Amino acid sequence: MAPVSAIEVDAPTAQARPVAIAQSLERQLGDPHDPSRAFSYAGALACDRREAFPAVACGALEQWGIERYYVPAGHGGSLSHYDEILHVMRVVARRDLTVAIGHGKTYLGGVCVWMGGAAAQARALGRRILDGAVVSLALTERNHGSDLLAGDLCAQPCPRGLQLSGEKWLINNATRGDLLCVLARTSSDGGPRGYSMVLVDKHELEPGCFTPLPKVPTHGIRGADISGIAFHRATVAGEAIVGEAGFGIEILLRSLQVTRTMCASLSLGAADTAVRLATRFALARNLYGRPLIELPSVRRTLAEAYGELLVSEVVATIAARSLDVFPAQASISSAVAKYLVPSFADRLIGRVGQILGARGVLEDVYVHGLFQKLERDQRIVGLFDGNTLVNLQTIVNQGPSLARALARHSDADAPLGELFGLDAARRQLDPAALALVARGGCAVVQSLASLLQRLDGAAAADPALVDALAFGRRLAAASAQVHSDLSAPAGPVDKIPAAAFGLAERYALCFAGASVLGVWLHNRSAYEPGETSGLWSGARWLTGALATLVARLDGPNKTTARATDALIEPLVHQTRAAHLYSLFGLELSEEGTC
Amino acid sequence: MLTAPNGAVALERALGDPYDSDNPLGFAATVGNDERGEISAAGEELLDRLCLNAEFVPVALGGRLHAIDELVRAVRPVMRRDATLGLGYGITSFMAAINLWVAGTAAQRARIAELLLSGAKVSVAYHELDHGNDFSRNEFRAQVAGDRIELDGRKQVINNIERAAAMVLFARTGPGAGSRSHSVIFADKVELDPARVRYLGRYRSVGVRGCQLGGIELASCELPADSVVGELGHGVEIALRSFQITRAALPGMALGSLDTALRTVLRFARSRQLYGTTVADLPHARATLAGVFADLLACDCLATAAARALHVVPEQAGSLAAATKYLVPRIISEALYELSIVLGARSYIREGEHAIFQKIARDTPVLGVGHASAGACLATLVPQLTALARRAWGRDEDPPAALFDRDYELAALAPTKLGLGAAHRDAMICGVGPALDELDSACASSPTARELAAKLRAAKADLQTDAAALAPKDRTSFGSADAFELGHRYAVLVAASACLGTWRTERSEPHAFASDPAFVLASLQRLVGRLTRSGPLDAELEAPLFAELQRRDGATRSFDLDDLPLYGSDHA
Repeated sequence: MAPVSAIEVDAPTAQARPVAIAQSLERQLGDPHDPSRAFSYAGALACDRREAFPAVACGALEQWGIERYYVPAGHGGSLSHYDEILHVMRVVARRDLTVAIGHGKTYLGGVCVWMGGAAAQARALGRRILDGAVVSLALTERNHGSDLLAGDLCAQPCPRGLQLSGEKWLINNATRGDLLCVLARTSSDGGPRGYSMVLVDKHELEPGCFTPLPKVPTHGIRGADISGIAFHRATVAGEAIVGEAGFGIEILLRSLQVTRTMCASLSLGAADTAVRLATRFALARNLYGRPLIELPSVRRTLAEAYGELLVSEVVATIAARSLDVFPAQASISSAVAKYLVPSFADRLIGRVGQILGARGVLEDVYVHGLFQKLERDQRIVGLFDGNTLVNLQTIVNQGPSLARALARHSDADAPLGELFGLDAARRQLDPAALALVARGGCAVVQSLASLLQRLDGAAAADPALVDALAFGRRLAAASAQVHSDLSAPAGPVDKIPAAAFGLAERYALCFAGASVLGVWLHNRSAYEPGETSGLWSGARWLTGALATLVARLDGPNKTTARATDALIEPLVHQTRAAHLYSLFGLELSEEGTC
Repeated sequence: MLTAPNGAVALERALGDPYDSDNPLGFAATVGNDERGEISAAGEELLDRLCLNAEFVPVALGGRLHAIDELVRAVRPVMRRDATLGLGYGITSFMAAINLWVAGTAAQRARIAELLLSGAKVSVAYHELDHGNDFSRNEFRAQVAGDRIELDGRKQVINNIERAAAMVLFARTGPGAGSRSHSVIFADKVELDPARVRYLGRYRSVGVRGCQLGGIELASCELPADSVVGELGHGVEIALRSFQITRAALPGMALGSLDTALRTVLRFARSRQLYGTTVADLPHARATLAGVFADLLACDCLATAAARALHVVPEQAGSLAAATKYLVPRIISEALYELSIVLGARSYIREGEHAIFQKIARDTPVLGVGHASAGACLATLVPQLTALARRAWGRDEDPPAALFDRDYELAALAPTKLGLGAAHRDAMICGVGPALDELDSACASSPTARELAAKLRAAKADLQTDAAALAPKDRTSFGSADAFELGHRYAVLVAASACLGTWRTERSEPHAFASDPAFVLASLQRLVGRLTRSGPLDAELEAPLFAELQRRDGATRSFDLDDLPLYGSDHA
């Protein structure tokens, strides 16, 4: 277990606490370009090539005490707000997604217990995790994919508790894990109340009653332990059930709202490294006798990618904060984050890869072949833990109630300051408040109108806000249209029309637009204009981020292009200074570039 | 009627059932070879036996090469099976040989023909890692002294460099960055002193892992002076002509990979149960599959027209080739992404019956390496657009039918007729208007058709206005990003024109699927989505496309324009 003092955040600092925690980890991990470091790019690529688990890099995380952020403060850990682990996992992911996924999985393993378990079970699991136990979440089966209600693994009552039989497959850390949180059918008919989550401690099982399934060779995260486990009448105590028997699906769906939000950190990290590799290359490379970065089409590609990254950061941050402030709406905020951030990352990584050319696909030539690895690794994020379609379906299914809520509610009483103000004191997530359906709609999207009003007021005094205001109005109009289109019920899950998925995508863009406006309006006075590479001076990042969204809604035009083009300067500045691509200011432990 | 090329049918039959795990040329074996980083020995043996290389050698020199369009279709079955085999066995030999068909002497041509027809490989070494697509800055030197020429320098990431019998090199033969400072050299390895040749290590790549990408270093290595291809100092011109041919040809070959990816995901969707139904019955999955099918057909229309243009309108072929090499790989990569969402976790697993998908996803981006990138293609297009807009696009006229109608015999390729700058005419863009008129009258009752036609007319008018107004500084490879955006719009319009042209040709054959307006409307709808924002196909278009897709899968036929009987097909 890590010494507690090593993890305390360096004070005093201007950084918001979640960023400061991540900064402390980044500082301790040191320069990833230095192959002698425990957590280096060279090490990451070597493990990937051998398909070996990145144990050395994981050791470096444990030395810092990362597992404290897997355990909520109430159960003995240090996790008090979800944007803390978001930023922490992001700096891990930007070095190696395989490590982030292979190690961060323990949070995923514990989350059902944090959200639905009894206090004693949670405390005990917290202790195990702080002692270094690896915990895994075992949901999927070979033939059922994302259809959780089709699971065949069953847990039947027996004299000593429960007997587990069946198989889970494509499970991260199924073999390495000490404990697994298993979705098991506890009623022969199945159905929504026919499943329970069962916390299985492999060390307590009798030998022979479980077998690990072989590691599955994967496209990316090749070093991760993606395997499975088969139980053969394995007996566990009755107390192993998490929460009430039969409530497994509900506990799981609420827990996934938390983990889906956190998945954004993985894509943020991958996108940071991808854009950085391409930008550094463009700064150093000459083409036709001039630096590649001077080629306008290259500048635009990079600036667009950076704009999408900043939007993603805002969405991820607000979705994470929303868990604390608006837990009853987490079904929506998590679906938006889990859809939007990985999709943006997949896309922007593909685009900047074009700039790298051969260096993007060769394994030895440029930074050890890091780009091709991160591109493969990142693709898993959109697939696991509720894939893109599952998340968009969540939005579609709630469409009519989202539309009703927008029409019914003003956001007058919503604690938006607590949500958007990054330094604002904030309540902690109340797991009991997580709900399967956001009955009150989504406060973030519903705040769009009032945020726009505030921007309108600010624009009266500041002509630099003209473009931002126009983009904001376009977003508000799009939001009205989307809500109207979503108000018709889409029908059962197997009949959702293809166009409805596009609507849900547009809904996510509206969520992003409101988040962008909220973060800018609530924090602009907290940042000096020169801070974070000039992003906060004038309306620069606001205009670029809103333009990014309008371009996604309507297709790009000359105005959106001009606004995103202007992001090239902060991008180059943050690249040269070796700062994380972020609105919030985090120094990387690597050398900048000139 | 599009007639199935006999060679392709025979090759398909010889490759056998891809789903047979005992077939050394099946997908299981292909994935296994990829895992080991090896090229398929059985595949190379088969292609030797069938002498695939003859497709790269003109008929006059004893080979089977007549029309580039036919060459593309002859190679596509190999790409449908294994891109590593396609690239590793022969595509780079074709890319090398084309330089000699463009500018080689009779002796050089005879020699490379002899090598290829005996099954040998020839490497093409344009690239240097430090200069990418900017060949004019290459540092590899060749110095002529009397009847000898001395080579010095390195070339990296060259396919088959070590096992090739000869290579085509791009070398600096004069000072400066000017257009007359480089030459193309044909280096027959029997002429080289092995002591002055050193092979660099193999480069590992994320895809086509079995291809033997290597490097070479030559140290004061002598060749006879008649190894220069064409005139000394004319390397850039030869390259510009050769690239028109390879840019037109390669994307059409790569469509074989998309065919297999689509088939893999369709088979998954039809068998996989989700939410009590099959994935193929979920509207989103169905829309994706139908949309990608429409994309594949659109790409084939464009690639076919680009290949035929080399023969039919060679002076216009350059911009069409650049548009094809820009747009088709991009559509393929976006289609693979859409398909991966339907395939879900199976798209991520390197074993089992769908493992070929992740191989294709890794192979595809590597196919472009060592060849023109999207940016390089746009950089070719942008300087031509203003001239084209001002002097060519004002006319409305029917394009030559031979561009789309594969019953037309093509004249032999005449590389000297390939233009080097903007042409005075542009059959593809000028053909948009008349084709849309025909679409309007053929689909008078379809609001979708009317809307698409209106959008395409507007897109053409806007492109013409914007391109005509480009400032001189933007008419260069360093043009503004907005100018490069025009290149994208041009490529999409050219593709739309190719779809329309193909449909008009097929209309005379009422039994052909491509004569159904649904095919052209679906392809156009997907293309128009690339100008604004994309969405799923209209239901009225999705249904016939999906039905046709299912029919072809059931009958084991290809998904491209050929509707070709594949392995094990009853009709094969």
